[in-house]
Amino acid sequence: MDSDRRRDSRSWDWDSPQCRARLDEIFFREQDYIQAGSPEHKEFWAFFDRFQRFKTKRDMAGPGASRGEDSGRTGSGKVDLGLPKDYDARYRINVSVCSRDIEERLGKSEHRSRQRSSGPGSQEVSDCRLALLHFLDFSQRQSFGKLAKLRREQKNLPIFQYRDRLVELVRRHPVVVVAGDTGCGKSTQVPQYLLSAGFTQVACTQPRRIACISLAKRVSFESLNQYGSKVGYQIRFETTRTTATKLLFLTEGLLLRQIQQDRTLAQYQVVIVDEVHERHLHCDFLLGVLRSLLADRPDLRLILMSATINIKLFSNYFSSAPVLQVPGRLFPIQVIYQPIPPEEQPSRSEKMDPRPYLRILQGIDQRYPPEERGDLLLFLSGVAEISTIQEACQIYATHTRRWIVLPLHSTLSLVQQDKVFDIAPPGVRKCIISTNIAETSVTIDGVRFVVDSGKVKEMSFDPKAKMQRLQEFWISRASSEQRKGRAGRTGPGVCYRLYAESDYDAFAPYPVPEIHRVALDSLILQMKSMSLGDPLSFVFIDPPPTASIQTAVTYLKDQGALDNRSELTSIGSLLAQLPVDVVIGKMLVLGSLFNLVEPVLTVAAALSVQSPFLRSSQHNPDCATARQPLHSNQGDPFTLLNTFNAWVEVKGERGGGSRKWCRRRGLEEQRLYEMVNLRRQFKDLLKSHSLLESEDSAPSGGDRGQRRERLTERRKLHQLKRDHEQQEGSKRKVLRLEEGQDGEFSSGSDTEETGRKKKDKEGSGQNMDIQEVKFKLRHNVSRLQEAVSISQDLSSRQQALLKLLLCRGLYPQLALPDEHNTTRKDSEQVFHTKNKQGVVIHPTSVFASDPEVLHVPEDDTGEMGPDRKDSSRHQLLAFVTLLETNRPYLSNCVRVPALQALLLVANSVDTNADCTRLVVDGWLELELREPEEALKVLSTALSLRAEWERLLLAQLGQSSAQGVSRKVMEKLSEGLVRFLLYTEVTYSLRRLAAFQTQNLYVGPQPDSELSRTEAPDLSLLFPGAEAKPDPIKGGLRVTSFFTYNCLADSKDLYSECLRTFWTCPNCGLYMPLTPLERMHHEASCRPAGEQQPDEEPESVKSSSSSASSLTRVYHCDVCNEDLNLTSTEILKHKRQHMYTAK
Amino acid sequence: MEQTSESPQKTFTCQLCGLCSPFTYYGQKPPNTRAIVLLEECFVTKDPFSPDKEKFLVLGSTCSLCSKCVCVGSDCSLFYTKRFCMSCVNKHLDQFPRQIQAELAKKKQSSKAAVS
Repeated sequence: MDSDRRRDSRSWDWDSPQCRARLDEIFFREQDYIQAGSPEHKEFWAFFDRFQRFKTKRDMAGPGASRGEDSGRTGSGKVDLGLPKDYDARYRINVSVCSRDIEERLGKSEHRSRQRSSGPGSQEVSDCRLALLHFLDFSQRQSFGKLAKLRREQKNLPIFQYRDRLVELVRRHPVVVVAGDTGCGKSTQVPQYLLSAGFTQVACTQPRRIACISLAKRVSFESLNQYGSKVGYQIRFETTRTTATKLLFLTEGLLLRQIQQDRTLAQYQVVIVDEVHERHLHCDFLLGVLRSLLADRPDLRLILMSATINIKLFSNYFSSAPVLQVPGRLFPIQVIYQPIPPEEQPSRSEKMDPRPYLRILQGIDQRYPPEERGDLLLFLSGVAEISTIQEACQIYATHTRRWIVLPLHSTLSLVQQDKVFDIAPPGVRKCIISTNIAETSVTIDGVRFVVDSGKVKEMSFDPKAKMQRLQEFWISRASSEQRKGRAGRTGPGVCYRLYAESDYDAFAPYPVPEIHRVALDSLILQMKSMSLGDPLSFVFIDPPPTASIQTAVTYLKDQGALDNRSELTSIGSLLAQLPVDVVIGKMLVLGSLFNLVEPVLTVAAALSVQSPFLRSSQHNPDCATARQPLHSNQGDPFTLLNTFNAWVEVKGERGGGSRKWCRRRGLEEQRLYEMVNLRRQFKDLLKSHSLLESEDSAPSGGDRGQRRERLTERRKLHQLKRDHEQQEGSKRKVLRLEEGQDGEFSSGSDTEETGRKKKDKEGSGQNMDIQEVKFKLRHNVSRLQEAVSISQDLSSRQQALLKLLLCRGLYPQLALPDEHNTTRKDSEQVFHTKNKQGVVIHPTSVFASDPEVLHVPEDDTGEMGPDRKDSSRHQLLAFVTLLETNRPYLSNCVRVPALQALLLVANSVDTNADCTRLVVDGWLELELREPEEALKVLSTALSLRAEWERLLLAQLGQSSAQGVSRKVMEKLSEGLVRFLLYTEVTYSLRRLAAFQTQNLYVGPQPDSELSRTEAPDLSLLFPGAEAKPDPIKGGLRVTSFFTYNCLADSKDLYSECLRTFWTCPNCGLYMPLTPLERMHHEASCRPAGEQQPDEEPESVKSSSSSASSLTRVYHCDVCNEDLNLTSTEILKHKRQHMYTAK
Repeated sequence: MEQTSESPQKTFTCQLCGLCSPFTYYGQKPPNTRAIVLLEECFVTKDPFSPDKEKFLVLGSTCSLCSKCVCVGSDCSLFYTKRFCMSCVNKHLDQFPRQIQAELAKKKQSSKAAVS
């Protein structure tokens, strides 16, 4: 037998692919369990090689060592099991493979194999079959091993003991609170317990998007549904939800949006709100909404999950809901208080002293042998602090070669952030220096030592200055415990607290909930759109300060989102549905009116995500040079626009090459991907509100061939995405000792090199960037390029208009350059907002490096006095954020022409009698030299604004079903552009001092007989607005934003009725008029060519009932007749009587 | 899987270790396994760790002696031409070949070492 085999083997080579292919034809056919070419098939042959080697080794060790020894021992016991005498591993496999092909070959083997000496003989077939059986057994064991391990781990979680009680509680009570500390398994297990208890349609909210994805992944794996869609997630741009989904992880914000659409949340049977103790704004609000929803949905089950912090608060809020308390699974942690000695305390002006931190590193090195593993996590308050300590630790690390120092904060690139999860080489510890991001959001395993500075920087909102403030505070006891807990996740740990135990005792018990710290604008807007009634009477778990709600309501009124009765306006209800800041939402709405949708979409998206410009690359000269062509001195939004456009261009040309392009410019590509997704979402939202025509979406267009091509490509992309998802997270890299040294500060081109080398080493053939794959799946690149090319080379006119839109969106966030800026250094440029003086431009802004463009040109100024600088070129900055860190900084600024922008967007414009002095919003004073020009500018602005408002309302579908015709819209944009670019009026601009604002207005005039009789009927000028004496300011309130002659002026009060002769350039009318009469005439008198009343058929039709039509019924008291006249005609008519009376 | 999960799930539970998992088939010829035949009646489910819908996973079967439901984990049962639960194996250890006896003894020792 043995010799037989050897003879056969001569013609049979197991290593030859041809021979293997022969066997494939028998065992791995199309219809077989394993098919040739499949991954399992590849695994089989690899297994086969190992199996053969094992067999040869065993055969050499001496065959049949124990054979037959057991024979004859059967009679020993009670039962005969009937087991075979000779041991064979084959008997341990409970699987068999038989097909006719195999049997045939095995049966008639003798003849066959001799006849066809090259084909597989019976020996080969049977060898192969045996290997296959072992392979099947092996894969069964492997998979079952995984399953058993999974179940074991689930059983070992502390919460496992409470499984039945939990289900019982949920069955019996509408609301249940589950309180458990880190590691008890509540987030992963509770949803599964509910599913297996028969609940379906379970929603589980998370404060963070990342958690939604990772939990969905983990839970679908644990519930053995890794490849199905029973468990899914839904976040802003991504969802894996299908009709089969029974458990959905989603963000708190998204669930709120779903409630907006589906008031009773009928789509869910159970809602789990996780991490309620974190007290995020959305979460607090969500709890309030759910609480009021429970009355309408008695069948709905609500589960709050929290750390064991302040549990009573939650339970009481839901009428003493039962609490299930689960112990956490933490190893013991030793706490060492090491307060920083006074001489090392950081002072306000100086950098932090790193000595206390270095001592701890040293101490660890002395006390713990390097082979005892365990990393260090150090909590500091902010980025500046991190880089100070990082620098010092790095020097120590380079010296000792026992540490790898890694920073961790949200402004790092994602690649940098990801490094904290990599593994340190043996004998070396990671020293991760982090903000409070590692307290809850990011969990790093393997941490044994925690150093807690006890400080945190938290955002707070100053309603008085309308400013956000990032301030350093002591943390709360709850945060302190949370930080400590990070040392005991994988084994016993040590926590060094750099403060005294008495400090700890003095800490606040819990952090201040977000709802008490931030501006509530978006929250209030959302409440209004959900018809939740008066925000002041809404039952929050912990109501925000009344003042804070009122500030938000006022702000929303200023923004036009709420009307005077605090009801939602049509813009407001639209804004409530956009998942962005009110100001950015406004830009989108405004942009949809003009032909500027594409650039506005991009800018709005760009301003809603973190800046793609990495801070660390700012000081890198190579990056700075590469970025230069992207800069626009019009403002940061334009730089972002250029950047996005250029990126899309690169995407179209080079696809995956964009990664390199970004790296060279110090750009975080992830942000650009977010922008492109957000942009798409905005576009869809505008379309769904008919603010944007939907493009003809003939399914991807092109002929059949092209379509098929695209389909094949998509299929390929989907496959790549699936492959990536399977591989993901499987491997952690080992860090190099030099990691921290170059890392962040290395030059762009260098990192590019090392980056590529690293990738080659990995050599996994995964050349395609997964982000690129997702991008291609989601977007049609060529269509995107088309859209972008529209906004690529904006003409100066379009640019001016875009700036106006941004400014109107951002209003009232305006800043005035200080008048002495020309004499200051670049870094000392100062600005003022209405509520805050002396703010500066953030160093990342284009205006920080190029402040001259904001200065009033020298040659243009005419000095009128010590404090007065006249020019036609004054500019203001519209800004997105005002944030105080060590100084109050403006960021994302755009410059606009001051007079024009103010007249077009401001909520309050007050004038004196001849309109040469304007006060805007009670803080900016503009003085125009020529009364003639002043009147002209003002009346142009007023009529442009009226028209703009009218079209906007028409666009929003408020005035009638008819939209806005392109012609009318183009005329308006033409007018606006002309006004913005070609208004050459000389004026001075300054902010009013406090004492000046006190006696600003003349106040109500009891004997205002004069103005009432003399003033013409102003309602003609501004349809719908009745000009009447302003009860507070005095003067005449002409429109909602314009009050005439209310300024307490040095000039006499009678100039308002002073008539001067004037010729109308349009109709040639020549007569003496008061300033107001003149404006009035100008507003209604159109140039000869435009005068036909049916020139705007749509607009006339659309507003025929309103007063805005050109003709109206006028009752003349003198003639005692009803006349149908245009406003100009009325004026002429009245004038007639005036003269005849004289 | 998507459809079968709609119908009430049948659950396999190991009577020794308590391992629980839903199963979709009981018998010797799981669906879509072609030339493969099981040598005992098994509780079978789709292999949850394989993206391929056709791959199956044997969870357990009944002990040929005491008819206890046991999982295929090596702590609970052993297959040697037939399925035996561990308690039956231990009862009749002498009838099993040397190799198996040695293997079990070794395992016992190592698990003891791990505990102490």
